[in-house]
Amino acid sequence: MLDYLGRCLVQLVVTLLGVVTVAFFLMRAVPGDPAQYMLGDYATKEALAVLREQLGLDLPVYQQYLLFMQRALTGDLGSSVVTGQPAMTEIMDSLPASAALAVTGLLIAIAIGVPLGIISAVRQGTWVDVAVMMGALAGISFPVFWLGLVAILVFAHKLSIFPALGASTSGGLLTQLYYLMLPAIVFGFSVAAYIARLTRSAMLEVLGQDYVRVARAMGIRESRIIGRLALRNALIPILAVIGVTFTLAFGNAILIEVVFSRPGVGSTLLKAILARDYQLVQAGVLVLAAVVVVVNVSLDVIYGFIDPRLRVT
Amino acid sequence: MTAQSDIQRKRRRNAIARYTRHPGLMIGCCILLLLVLIALAAPLISPHNPLKTDLTNTLAPSSTTYWLGTDQYGRDIASRLIWGTQVSLKVALSVVTISLVLGTLIGAIAGFAGGWTERIIVVCNDVLLAFPGFLLALAIVAARGSTLESVIIAVAIAFTPRVISVMRSVVLTIRPRLFIEASHAIGMSTTRILLRHVVPNALPPVIVVATVSAATAILAEAGLSFLGLGVQPPTPTWGNVISDGNSLITTNPLISLSAGLCIAVAVVALNLLGDGLRDTLDPQMRRQTGRLI
Repeated sequence: MLDYLGRCLVQLVVTLLGVVTVAFFLMRAVPGDPAQYMLGDYATKEALAVLREQLGLDLPVYQQYLLFMQRALTGDLGSSVVTGQPAMTEIMDSLPASAALAVTGLLIAIAIGVPLGIISAVRQGTWVDVAVMMGALAGISFPVFWLGLVAILVFAHKLSIFPALGASTSGGLLTQLYYLMLPAIVFGFSVAAYIARLTRSAMLEVLGQDYVRVARAMGIRESRIIGRLALRNALIPILAVIGVTFTLAFGNAILIEVVFSRPGVGSTLLKAILARDYQLVQAGVLVLAAVVVVVNVSLDVIYGFIDPRLRVT
Repeated sequence: MTAQSDIQRKRRRNAIARYTRHPGLMIGCCILLLLVLIALAAPLISPHNPLKTDLTNTLAPSSTTYWLGTDQYGRDIASRLIWGTQVSLKVALSVVTISLVLGTLIGAIAGFAGGWTERIIVVCNDVLLAFPGFLLALAIVAARGSTLESVIIAVAIAFTPRVISVMRSVVLTIRPRLFIEASHAIGMSTTRILLRHVVPNALPPVIVVATVSAATAILAEAGLSFLGLGVQPPTPTWGNVISDGNSLITTNPLISLSAGLCIAVAVVALNLLGDGLRDTLDPQMRRQTGRLI
């Protein structure tokens, strides 16, 4: 087990270093001069020189890289050009709102997706299966921001059940939750579609195993086979699915935040991109990717606890 | 002689029937073909110039002249959607081509070379896979500027790693097989073995992943356009039309709704195609019904 934990830790460190490296080279991918890009076409030579020095662009690339790495490890990701605040603080301030959306959305997605996936695998080929899979196909095919727009149109404007905005500036926890519901449901629905598809295939694979056939031959009740044999064994792939969708979900969360004008890392990132606030963009990308990496490695550790087979290799 | 050709003919007929009997595959193919035709014939079939603004005729309701009405600049929505097909398909096709070529190549090298080459490629690939695809595309477009070219590059970079990892794992299962060893034994060069034996055998699962990434590419392009970071207006793209209609969703919902339906139809078609190809090309992949992107 310790050996397994060690491997997970090495993987975590290597991937995080890689993420920092990618974030650094993204800045380098700006054609021409990043300083020029940030200040626009009408910047004076002096202003450009000052910004270049401030960003360390006058140093050779390898020195810039080492410096960036060193600073990133201490949590210093430069400061926002627009507000002057440390980029890390700005991102961290908007993280709770995003986390609330992601967690609520994922809970909804799991609550809808896993049972539907199981039912459709157990009833494979029936109209229930066809209906669920068609719904799931729609869920993965409609753009999530468009689903958000439709939800606003139907539930906020036509039916007036939920507010059109995804967040309220005042009010207690309940008000915040009320405002969170519509974006979380839209987000949850789109992710539920992936989870249902993957859960169904995980279940189908287990149901096709020899031990299930043997259990059936022995005359064990179908409900017991599904509950005792299939579901338990399908749990690991289903957990893995939820880990995968978490990565996917972060991309969708950015779009949802913009559609519902919700504060969050996604909105902050978009604002930074439009304002050409490069340090902030870099910080946002880095923090989001780091969160995803940490979550995925933690899930790996959890699998190791649940399934001893995964610890060997 | 005749018996043998009979068997061959029968076998071929069975192979074709496998594809035609799959309803999802056929529906997906037909929709996709229709979309390609619309994209190619856009100059002929679009009723109006998609860029022509008419400030005396803004936000017109749908009529026989303006099938889906006009937007806030008086541009014909139907024409913009027809021309938008071109952009979406161009992005999908380019992304698939780039990620297929790069992905199979790098994946095959990683799987075949082994040792440090493989380890380095795998680590780099894992880092790219750690980024949510859309976030990576967003960051690249932010760095490179919003042109059609950089949207394609961004989405391709985000999705090539998935092809690489599928290709590598397939190569790893092929490599220990006897026919590869035999090819080595008769003195075939590694490049030749790769091209003659490994790539053709690994292609089915890779094609499935590529189809899926085409679907995701269309969604990613639309998402970038919607955020105002994709192909810049006034170029008609589906995402741009949704974005134009965003503020008018309560008064003129038709604008955003119709553009969203276009995206959904294209993505459903590609997903049906991907699911169908997976069922028919590669029975072993059948269990992986989900999307990893």
